[in-house]
Amino acid sequence: MTERTLDGESPRPTSEFWRSFAEMAVWLLICGIVYSQTGLFDREIPDYEFGATGWPRALCIAAAFGAVAQFCLQRIVARRAPENANAKSGAKSGGDWRTLAQRAAVFVFPLLWLYLAPRVGFYISAPFFVAGMLLLMEVRSPVNLFAVTAAIYALVLLFFTRLFFVALPVGRIEAFYDVNVAIIGLARIGL
Amino acid sequence: MDMFIQGTMNLFGDWNTLLIFAMGLLGGMIFGATPGVNMLTLGAVVLPFTITMLPEHAIMLFSVIYCAGVFGGAITAILFNIPGAPENAPTCFDGYPMTLRGESGKAIGAAVSCSAIGGLASAILMMSATGAIAGWAIRAFGPQEIFALIFFGLAVSASIGAATLWKGWLSVLAGLLIATIGTDPVGGIARFNEGSLLGLSFHSYYLSAGIHFIPIILGFFAVSEVFAQAVNIAMGTRERPKAGLEFPSAAEFWRVRWTMLRSVGIGFFAGILPGIGATLAAFLGYSQAQRWSRNRQNFGKGEIEGVVASETANNAATGAAMIPLLALGLPGGALTAMMLGIFQIHGMEPGPLIFINSGELVWITFAAMFWANLLIIFLGWLQTKTVVHLLRIPFRWLAPGILMLAIVGAYALRNLFIDVWVMFIAGIAGYLLRRTGYSAAGIVLGLILGKLGESAFTKSMQLMDYNFLGFFERPIAAVLIVLGVGAVILSIAGEFRRVEQQKASLD
Repeated sequence: MTERTLDGESPRPTSEFWRSFAEMAVWLLICGIVYSQTGLFDREIPDYEFGATGWPRALCIAAAFGAVAQFCLQRIVARRAPENANAKSGAKSGGDWRTLAQRAAVFVFPLLWLYLAPRVGFYISAPFFVAGMLLLMEVRSPVNLFAVTAAIYALVLLFFTRLFFVALPVGRIEAFYDVNVAIIGLARIGL
Repeated sequence: MDMFIQGTMNLFGDWNTLLIFAMGLLGGMIFGATPGVNMLTLGAVVLPFTITMLPEHAIMLFSVIYCAGVFGGAITAILFNIPGAPENAPTCFDGYPMTLRGESGKAIGAAVSCSAIGGLASAILMMSATGAIAGWAIRAFGPQEIFALIFFGLAVSASIGAATLWKGWLSVLAGLLIATIGTDPVGGIARFNEGSLLGLSFHSYYLSAGIHFIPIILGFFAVSEVFAQAVNIAMGTRERPKAGLEFPSAAEFWRVRWTMLRSVGIGFFAGILPGIGATLAAFLGYSQAQRWSRNRQNFGKGEIEGVVASETANNAATGAAMIPLLALGLPGGALTAMMLGIFQIHGMEPGPLIFINSGELVWITFAAMFWANLLIIFLGWLQTKTVVHLLRIPFRWLAPGILMLAIVGAYALRNLFIDVWVMFIAGIAGYLLRRTGYSAAGIVLGLILGKLGESAFTKSMQLMDYNFLGFFERPIAAVLIVLGVGAVILSIAGEFRRVEQQKASLD
């Protein structure tokens, strides 16, 4: 099953249909879940007829309607997705395992850091986060890695710890806590 | 005029006052132009220090930070596609494509000049008729009109930044839904703070307080942009922006004179209404510029008129936002709410009597806003010539710094690490939504106006005894609703017309 694209050049794969369908299904699923969760606070309010659920439920219905309308219109238009048009020459193959791993790491690495930072403290973990992000941004020169990490870390310490006294997490594990406090002390020397 | 001269003399005649003015101006411009932090961060940091200041110095400082911060936010929007504040979001749509074309200087130059023009016009209007305008706005604008205006604003602005009309609407609806998390505006019942699905359940005190818009904005704009660029680097498809120092020509300004004038009107009108503020002003200014422009097909691709429209409108709202604050004690946004806090710290009550009891405070503030906007032209020109060189620093070096600032900005808001989680989750969601043609700006618009819209709707329903036709008994509300519905119908018709045209070209 193929469809003709609007530019009339290439056959349109069935995947386009399933993509639009999946998009609608995700929206309907979100709307369904949100609507079902409104039951947990479905209590009467003496001065207000629609209660606490009226507004969010109306929004869920409107979003569900919008998702269905979008799907119907996409079927009518059946036009090519913008990403296809934006494909550029010189791009690395998206299927290359290294590229895929790097792309995944861009999203996973910050989440891993978020898990660790409150435990080991911001002051210890921040340089590793900066260096990790630089590596993900394909900065490979050790000199650049060290210099940029040191510059960003120093600026954060100078502005937020020394000048603005922002209380950033110092860690929940005792050994790390002590080191974090020592770094803060170092940053505030002379104050 | 005498009062203005007196205010100016008080401002420039005392070294302390002048120093505070200069610090506010530079601080607002620097914080506004630094990705990850914004004028609210500066306001929150400075607020405790205002206890020891004279009240007129403290209010003047915040009003200057407000003017300079709104302008500064345009710079990051233009250079990095990361708006410094929600009101700068529409500036990204044309400012960043201009940067990619090597016209960053031109875009920033337009933003500088139009921010100053919008701000100056607003300051002059504010000085001329604060009392009368505030009185009119409050008499004419009840909950029905506020709701109708939000409906109208969303109706005309929803599709901005999205691939299609429906994606724009769905983005706004997503933002409105996120805004329902927290307590409901009438009964104070906690919503979505607990959940139960497939036998799993959770309860969160954090969600009882609602999701703050700052981590969401940082996530949708700053974090998702860094993610997008990092993925482009991994794929080898990153387009490198080019630094350009060219300033817009006088002819270019003359070409967009009507857009400027329209945006001043829109910005000022939106600014005087409590809570509506600069964000809706910028979106409305941009959408109306697109509607009336001869080059509407170039909007979103680097049209200078788009930058002019949004920057004029958001700065025109800054002066106007002071009107309900000073005359009625009603803050129009987060920074004006901080100013209300300063009044309370110093045991003062803003309202009509403030013009009689604290004339010096009022006029030093008005004069400071006027001169701040005038100085923005000069300092902004200098900034145009210097800040553009930031583009010469490789983005891969700047990105971790931007993330670090965003992390500190999100955390410092309430000293909660969960805000940083929210920011990164919003960043991932923003990245995915942008890839699929949804509008991060639309979600943020929905999120910011959601609570206000629901509150106005509930009050309207109570006042009108749940009769939806009651909106049509109030002329302003009726006109706005009809215009909003008309805009929706026209947009849908336009979408169908485009489909037909595409089909015809295929045949």
